[in-house]
Amino acid sequence: MSGGPPKGLPSTGPHSLLDMPHPLAGSSSEEAVGGDSTPSPDLLMARSFGDKDLILPNGGTPAGTSSPASSSSLLNRLQLDDDIDGETRDLFVTVDDPKKHVCTMETYITYRITTKSTRVEFDLPEYSVRRRYQDFDWLRSKLEESQPTHLIPPLPEKFVVKGVVDRFSEEFVETRRKALDKFLKRITDHPVLSFNEHFNVFLTAKDLNAYKKQGMALLTRVGESVKHVTGGYKLRSRPLEFAAIGDYLDTFALKLGTIDRIAQRIIKEEIEYLVELREYGPVYSTWSALEGELAEPLEGVSACIGNCSTALEELTDDMTEDFLPVLREYILYSDSMKSVLKKRDQVQAEYEAKLEAVALRKEDRPKVPADVEKCQDRMECFNADLKADMERWQNNKRQDFRQLLMGMADKNIQYYEKCLTAWESIIPLLQEKQEAK
Amino acid sequence: MEQAPRDPERQLQPAPLEPLGHPDAGLQSAVGEEAEGARDESPGEGTMTENNFWLKKIEISVSEAEKRTGRNAMNMQETYTAYLIETRSVEHTDGQSVLTDSLWRRYSEFELLRNYLLVYYPHIVVPPLPEKRAEFVWHKLSADNMDPDFVERRRIGLENFLLRVASHPILCRDKIFYLFLTQEGNWKETVNETGFQLKADSRLKALNATFRVKNPDKRFTELKHYSDELQSVISHLLRVRARVADRLYGVYKVHGNYGRVFSEWSAIEKEMGDGLQSAGHHMDVYASSIDDILEDEEHYADQLKEYLFYAEALTVRTFSLKGMTTKLFGQETPEQREARIKVLEEQINEGEQQLKSKNLEGREFVKNAWADIERFKEQKNHDLKEALISYAVMQISMCKKGIQVWTNAKECFSKM
Repeated sequence: MSGGPPKGLPSTGPHSLLDMPHPLAGSSSEEAVGGDSTPSPDLLMARSFGDKDLILPNGGTPAGTSSPASSSSLLNRLQLDDDIDGETRDLFVTVDDPKKHVCTMETYITYRITTKSTRVEFDLPEYSVRRRYQDFDWLRSKLEESQPTHLIPPLPEKFVVKGVVDRFSEEFVETRRKALDKFLKRITDHPVLSFNEHFNVFLTAKDLNAYKKQGMALLTRVGESVKHVTGGYKLRSRPLEFAAIGDYLDTFALKLGTIDRIAQRIIKEEIEYLVELREYGPVYSTWSALEGELAEPLEGVSACIGNCSTALEELTDDMTEDFLPVLREYILYSDSMKSVLKKRDQVQAEYEAKLEAVALRKEDRPKVPADVEKCQDRMECFNADLKADMERWQNNKRQDFRQLLMGMADKNIQYYEKCLTAWESIIPLLQEKQEAK
Repeated sequence: MEQAPRDPERQLQPAPLEPLGHPDAGLQSAVGEEAEGARDESPGEGTMTENNFWLKKIEISVSEAEKRTGRNAMNMQETYTAYLIETRSVEHTDGQSVLTDSLWRRYSEFELLRNYLLVYYPHIVVPPLPEKRAEFVWHKLSADNMDPDFVERRRIGLENFLLRVASHPILCRDKIFYLFLTQEGNWKETVNETGFQLKADSRLKALNATFRVKNPDKRFTELKHYSDELQSVISHLLRVRARVADRLYGVYKVHGNYGRVFSEWSAIEKEMGDGLQSAGHHMDVYASSIDDILEDEEHYADQLKEYLFYAEALTVRTFSLKGMTTKLFGQETPEQREARIKVLEEQINEGEQQLKSKNLEGREFVKNAWADIERFKEQKNHDLKEALISYAVMQISMCKKGIQVWTNAKECFSKM
């Protein structure tokens, strides 16, 4: 299996242990690693380099050395996600074309995944495969396992209450498709996750099930090592920086929850308003039938209200399909981020405990034992990854919400514009002088 | 008959000696001498007033409403609202208006005036009064008669009533109407002295009789049918509109919650904070804009209501004899009532005979009644069209405000 011992790689961190202040000396450890939220480029490079080496099955760069091929992909990874010019991107993934499959045992939907890439990790320049939701679910678990120090994007909700939601309805399928597309794009944009082996297989394998059966065999060393950190280590205090992230995520999730409730309430009120409008408009028609001179004006008003009703229905549909799911996604996102934070705490706690144990042994050791060094390494990497991902996440979140809220405003503007057009167009009709009766 | 335009300035001529005697002369004679007595009025007043006001234009307004307390017929304390009616005459030459009369009236006096007009002008479509109690309310509006918004809308409705009467070519000349505007004290007594209550039942019955004769004028039957349907459809419309208003209110108000949560959220954000905060402010503006919007819409509802009441007046219903008599005669013993009913029934039969014989007076009545109905139809078409236009204008304004607010919010979001 590829991947040499971590010690040989720069992945132990750019700082020697001697430079590292004692973790119990205070919360200065994060400053040593990089106090601000932007990780230093060489740190990032080092991490990515290490990861890249570990996960790729198709003869990637050998451990410890950089090669021309890998440095170009490294450069790619260093790019920020919100790089607008697509020239620097070398991986494009799209989810579309949902299809229903009816089998004896079950009925399900598959989506077409199209991949275009110039990366060496891909044998062909283009791939097209079909995947179903449980394949995405599998991918996500694998990513969580193999990249525990990173924030894995959320999937749309797995379970739907049968009877309440029709999971084969066009709207539901389309909403889900968009969410799955977003999921893959977020991974694609991630400098580390996008190189994940499982991700690659997901995008390319003809028979994913066969690959799935291989199971445990492809766990990475990092994954394994972090996985074995069980509970039992209690963290004394979360470093300020991560505590701040934790607090932020708590409040953020809370506010999003409130917004979700408000949005749902608005949609509910709008639907009830729509129900009344649908009764209101036709009454003008009924009246029109009684009248002579007023017949056309009244009929005009009836039609107008009908148009407004249709516009309102479009608004509520859009909000349900486009707005609510994204909110929920972000709530799930922040939940999974909080659990990553907790794992980080675990890693730090283990390190601190072991360090303390060493200190208490009162032996005159010039160097800290290897396993403590390993723990420190793990912690530092985790911190670095997490901070990098938080930064990326904050940027993406800002873009996503900017777009989401502008979209909400847009939909409302369009609704009012449709109504305005309808009412303005009947004014001349109403003002028209009727011919002699 | 010329249709007087509906505007504050119009010619007001006081009543001639009798309330336009001849259209219902046929009925009068059938009904008996009770009618004669009522028509006696001092000859001097009529001619005097007739002379002075022909050329002057009059402005009428119900300018104020005031809460009062007093004692009612059963000597119990009650609270009611009094309305100030101001009449101005406008000098032709310089256009300036001079306050000529100003007095306070309460709703029940308006009702009395209207009941009088209904009796004396059975062939005229008498304008309706604004509703006695708030109906077709949506939840935010109070159904309380003392509620200031209701009182205000009623003030406008009462003014509208007076203007309609004043602009009617026949009704404007009525003496009692003139006195309503000018004689504060004793007006009630003056009205009651006409003895119109006594005629009320018989006249309406007689009118009803036109529908029970063998070959009623088809136009009246169609009209009755139309007014029934109109009543029904406008009631339905008003009910649904009230529900629509309720729901719309809910939609707007819930958006106010965005204001608060965006503000809270902005506190934990760095770059996004300002945009969120200012967008939240716009959501608050949006939420509060609905109050004025719906207040305006109430005026539209009132315009519809007026025609609902007009339709009710048009519909000549077959009142139950009992109900009718209790209303007009007040408390009396069943025997008294029976006796009176008998007399009236005889009078009705005589009336029916008169109509059946198709004498000139009967035809005159029908002709004049139909002429007023035509006048009314024109008025209705014109008014309702105006109402629909103003409703459309209100909707347009609401849409434009909506676009404005969301465009502002969008801009704030874009700065996030």
